[in-house]
Amino acid sequence: MTVSRLPSAALSLKQFLHRQKVLGIYRNMLRTIRRVPDEADRKFLRDWARDEFHRNKNVTHEDAIRMMITQASNHLEELQKSLALAHS
Amino acid sequence: MAARVLQQCVRSFARPSLRLCSNNLALRVTAAPAAAVHRPLSFAADSRRTRWLVQSRIPSVGVLCRQYGDLPPLTLETIKERVMYVLKLYDKINPEKLQTSSHFMKDLGLDSLDQVEIIMAMEDEFGFEIPDAEAEKLMTPEEIVQYVADKKDVYE
Repeated sequence: MTVSRLPSAALSLKQFLHRQKVLGIYRNMLRTIRRVPDEADRKFLRDWARDEFHRNKNVTHEDAIRMMITQASNHLEELQKSLALAHS
Repeated sequence: MAARVLQQCVRSFARPSLRLCSNNLALRVTAAPAAAVHRPLSFAADSRRTRWLVQSRIPSVGVLCRQYGDLPPLTLETIKERVMYVLKLYDKINPEKLQTSSHFMKDLGLDSLDQVEIIMAMEDEFGFEIPDAEAEKLMTPEEIVQYVADKKDVYE
């Protein structure tokens, strides 16, 4: 019998990839929000993003996570589009 | 077309003395009248621009007068002070528990989302971007200080 050298709490490859993706989106989101011109809006958006990510950080269901990743990327894209319009 | 040429001139003129946002301001201020002369038909856009111009005239004076390059040189000590200051302001960290060697996740009980936020706060504080691959490895205040010092060419 082969004994796994990994600790039992280690993430599977899929979970690990999801984790990286979520953190990447979060980072991109915060970077994008930083470019919002109005101070009050910026604070509001930052708190919103923070709350959303923290509220769902304990979700374990894979499909739910995948759905939320898609949703977050949509939001991010939308935000980037409106920012590009606002700056032009 | 003429507006674009003018913009080019202004850009090459303005680059040595102004930076990023002030550059942009000066550009728009000078570009707007030219646009008003050459495109009388696009009325809505022009009036918006001129209104914007009126609003921005006062702050742009302040921007143009701003002095750069006046910061005291960074030392390991000042970097450390600023890092610790930012961390103390972060709401999820207990300032009493905070030490230069404390691990964000193991000692301070933060999660990976908080760590991302901390790194973003550091980017804001020191004014440069930390790439994702390196941001993941910064787990203690010490490491952040070391990383910033390396990037800013600060040695003992």
